[in-house]
Formats: sequence, structure tokens, C-alpha cells
Amino acid sequence: MNIRQAVKMAWKSILGKKGRSMLTMLGVIIGIAAVMTIVSVMSGYAAKTMEQFSAMGSNKITVNIYSYVYTEDENGNWVPAGKDYFPDLYAYCKSIPQYIVGITPEAYASVNVVYGTKNSANFEWGWDDATNQMTGQYPPDVYYVSDQYSACNNLTITKGRDLGELDVERYNQVCVLGSQAAEVFFGSADPTGKVLQLNGQNFEVVGVYAPRLTGSDAQNSTIDNFILLPYTARRLLGGDRIENFTVKARDGVSTTEVATRIRGFLNGLIDQSTGDSYVSPDDRWQQSMNEQMGMISLVLGGIAAISLLVGGIGIMNIMLVTVTERTREIGIRRAIGAQRSSIVTQFLIEAAMLCGIGGIIGISIGTLGCYVAGNLLFHMTIYPSASVTAGALGFSVLLGLIFGSYPAIKASKLQPVEALRAE
Amino acid sequence: MANLIELRNIFKIYGEGLESEVRALDGVSLTIRQGEFVAIVGQSGSGKSTMMNVLGCLDIPTRGDYLLAGTDVRELTDKELSRIRNKEIGFIFQQYNLIQTLTVLENVELPLIYQGIKADDRYELALEALDRVGLSKRVKHKPTEMSGGQQQRVAIARAIATKPPIIMADEPTGALDSRTGHEVLEFLQQLNREGTTVILITHDNGIAATARRCVRLTDGKIVEDKEQEVDWF
Repeated sequence: MNIRQAVKMAWKSILGKKGRSMLTMLGVIIGIAAVMTIVSVMSGYAAKTMEQFSAMGSNKITVNIYSYVYTEDENGNWVPAGKDYFPDLYAYCKSIPQYIVGITPEAYASVNVVYGTKNSANFEWGWDDATNQMTGQYPPDVYYVSDQYSACNNLTITKGRDLGELDVERYNQVCVLGSQAAEVFFGSADPTGKVLQLNGQNFEVVGVYAPRLTGSDAQNSTIDNFILLPYTARRLLGGDRIENFTVKARDGVSTTEVATRIRGFLNGLIDQSTGDSYVSPDDRWQQSMNEQMGMISLVLGGIAAISLLVGGIGIMNIMLVTVTERTREIGIRRAIGAQRSSIVTQFLIEAAMLCGIGGIIGISIGTLGCYVAGNLLFHMTIYPSASVTAGALGFSVLLGLIFGSYPAIKASKLQPVEALRAE
Repeated sequence: MANLIELRNIFKIYGEGLESEVRALDGVSLTIRQGEFVAIVGQSGSGKSTMMNVLGCLDIPTRGDYLLAGTDVRELTDKELSRIRNKEIGFIFQQYNLIQTLTVLENVELPLIYQGIKADDRYELALEALDRVGLSKRVKHKPTEMSGGQQQRVAIARAIATKPPIIMADEPTGALDSRTGHEVLEFLQQLNREGTTVILITHDNGIAATARRCVRLTDGKIVEDKEQEVDWF
């Protein structure tokens, strides 16, 4: 007996008992749908997060320089003791361009932005669950940066010019806008040469960056909604001494190696009696995030796998009932020449088809589940990958073969005489 | 003619050694030559059904030798026994034993499927067999849509589809009225005239009288084995 015949017979037998077949498949359907949804949503979320990372630029190293001793300055404010080491670090990084693309402070400037009637203090924003989109306007983030911020963050100028080293040195009151911030304040007009008021101080817009995310990715992201100021503007606008810096290593250079160099340099520089530094490659953070995602996937996947196991046992149970019910048929088949292997094949194929059909239904539901769960949990549209889909189908058929084998072998072990005697 | 079937001192014992031991076949020796028409007759419990199962390779005797066309059946594997049931023997049962979920054609095709015959040839052979029993017009029907006589004719078509040298019929007329039963017996005669060895198992002396040779079983033993004039009822 060939496989095609067995498939035909199994199909008839499944269709012959539609209600029962459906109930039997339910376990597999739920299991496969759950696994599909969980695996796809988790991997989809991880992929999107990685996309955002790489949009901001990878190969980064975070540097903290901090002081644990504070002194009172001439105005009576408590400030970190010891000098500001950033200019030294900046110079060091510039001296090893074969390793480092750029270095910049990472610091928020808490300032109010005003242009004409637009005032960031009055911006309101929210989330529309119906359309799954951000509503209103999120105020732009304002950062104190060096002239190398763009190099560290994959930014390119589309209008005007970038910040320069002289802007930093000369305390120039200039700023460069991210594409979203430019649109917020100037719409489609050219912002270069216009003057923004930051905490009442005039800052001239000298340039605009190109968007880093486009289309639907950009819709719910604020990644390009920012204003960059030379970090020396802190003298005018206020804020604590900057302690966090980002170094971007060249592509192909080990961030661990660059981190070691910077660590060595800072250890020799910083007066250990007043402060210290902490240097950490960013991909370590990415790694730990990946590990966490992997762990969550594993736990959820394990739970889903248990439901699949239960589904498989359900299949085995029903196949055993089927074998008992069809004992006489098995006897007839054996009497007219079916070998044991033919009987095994017949019932195995039937179990595999039951699970396979269950798998296909489960995949359909799982795809829908991905879409719904992705939107509800992460506000993003996720579809299962082709490999996950193919894997789910393959696995469900395998499940049928595994759990169908015991009933199939049991059926084949029936003695023809005994089987023919059954009612 | 050559000895097709040779039973030598065959025992089939259930619960051997126990107090409740049952000897369904108790030292049976029997030789059937190719082309014979043999009726095995006996009352219920005489061991004739066990005899049929042993002869049809559906059951293995407890002791004794069974040579089928010179081969010792007891030495065959399950696969080889399946092949013998498929190619050498055509079974006709009292309860027809058709598979209810399959159509008439599919039922008749079944032994051919297990023989591994290709779909086109299979269809031809099955149709030819159904034509012989006069049912070639009803191939798409399910057995449940047919009368008992028609179902038995389908079963006969299935038995002869592989053109086996032996036909074993276990009470083939038991569930039929006398007219359709008569047709079935006539058909078996026809097959026998064409050279098929027919073994007919029955409790009915009248039906046994349609066979040229009559073997009578009582309590698992052969008590009579005689050639006789064929007598039609």
C-alpha cells in the first residue's frame, strides 16, 4: 500500500467523523496557535528593538565619570569636586581615530522651547488605542552634545550645517534639529537661520538632520524628535556637570578593546580620591536584553509546549478509541492481505493528518494572534516568519507521528482472527 | 492433481493444560487437491470455523503441520502469511465483512491495493470482478445501500479480484434467503469448474450436498470424509 492510498483513506476517515476530528484537533490547534504567537511576538519585538538600536548606531561605549566628593562653589552651590575631565577624554579620543569615530556627552537639557506661538511647555500628547498611534505632540528632547554627536548616532545633515568644534569652544548660541523637531516648529519651511528661544535665550538653528526612521516605523517613534546644543551652552542654560558620555568605536573594532583603552586612560587621569569612572560597551546591554528575551521566550514557549504535549496525548487517546472501534475493519483488511506495516502506515498517516490539519488551523489562529498581541502589547504589527510557520507545521505533523505510533502499533498487533470476531 | 492443502495431525487447543481446556481441532489430518470442491460440515462448536481460520492462515495451529502448496505455513512470517491471504486465498464470510465507509469499488479494490497494483490496472481488475457478479453498474454505492445478496456478491467480487487459486467460503449463504443463497452456490460451482479450489464451510447438510466431497467434523475430529454425487436443493 502506498502513501497516497493511505492519505486518501485517512482523509475519508477524518471527514467521516467531522465533529470528533475537530475536537481531537483542538488541543493541537491551541498549542500551535500559542507557540506561534509567543515565538513570533517575542522575536518580532526583539528584531524591532534591534532595528531601533542600529538606527541610533551600534558599536557604542558608555562612559560615566563621576565624583563622590562635592564642594561648595563661590555661589554657594554644591558641585562635584575635582576638575571636569571631559575635555581631556575628548582630546584622547580624537588622538586615536583608528579606533574611535566620535565622543559626545549624553545629557538632557531641561529647557523650554519657544518659536512664535509654539511653546513646548504647552504640548500635549497621548496614545490612541483605536488607531494604535501617538496623538498630539511630544515635546522634543534637548541634548547637550559635542560636535561628534551626529557621528555617534548615524545622523546626517540635510539642511544647513552640523555643529562644529568652534561652536563648543566659543559658546555659540546655535542648535541643530532632528527632522521631527524641525517639522514640529517649522512645518515644511526651512528652519536654518531661524531663531528658537530656549529658556528665553536666543539660539540660531544652523542645520537639520535627515530622518533615521521612515514610514510606519517612524510613526510611533520619537527618535528624530530632538534638538542638539553645544554642551558649553550649559553655562547659559544650567544643569549639573555632565557625567555620561558616549563613545562610538569604528566598525569592525572590538568595543571591548576600545573600552579597555578608555578605562586605562581614565584611570591614569582621574584623581581617585574624589571620583572614578565606569566604562561599558553598549552591546553588553543589548546582549543582556537578548538573554532576557530568550529567557521569557523559553518560559512562555515551555508552557505552550506543555499544551502541545497535552494535545498530543489527546490525539493518542482518540486514535486508541478509533482503533478499538475499527477492530473489525482491521481484521477484514488483515484477512484480505494487509500486512502489519500497512495497518501501521494507515493509522500513523491518519494521526499525522489530524495533527497537520490542526497545525494549519493553529497557524492561522496564531498569525491572527501575532497581529493582535503585537498591537496590544508593543504597538507594532508582527507577522510570523516563514521559518516559524514551516516549523509549526512540521512539528504538528511530527506530533501526530509520535503520538499516533502507539495506537498504530497496537492496531497492527491485533490477530486477524480476534479482530474479525469483534463487533 | 497435486496436493494443494495438507493438514497433518493438527491441534488447536485453547487454554491447554487447564481444566477448562478446549480442543477446537483435535488431531485433524486432511488433504485437499487442486481443483476440488470440498464442504466442511459440522454443528456449531464442531471446530469448523477454527478449521477455516487455520486453512485460511488467519490462525496458527497449536500443533501439527500445515503444508500449503508444499510450504509449511508454521514457518512463515506475518508478512508472508499476509501475502498468502492476499494472493492465494479469497475469503467469503457469512457477514460479508465489507468496509462500510468505502464504496463497492473501493472494497473490491482493497486486496489489489495491498498487492501494490497501479490505480488504472486496479480499476480494470475490480470492474472485471464486479462485472462477473453482475454489479458493475453500482460501483459508487456504499454497502449499506445494498441488499444482503448484493453485498455478498460484492464480497465475492472482492474475493475473486486477485484471481486466487483457493476460495474459502464460511457460511456464505447463512444470511441470505434461499434464492440468493442458491445463486451464490451456483457461482462457487462456476468458479470451481474454471479450476478454482473451493472450500465451503457450513452447518447445513443441504448446502454441503452441493459439494463433490464432504468432510464432516464433530468435536474437532473428522468423522466422515466422502465423495458424493452433487445434489441440488
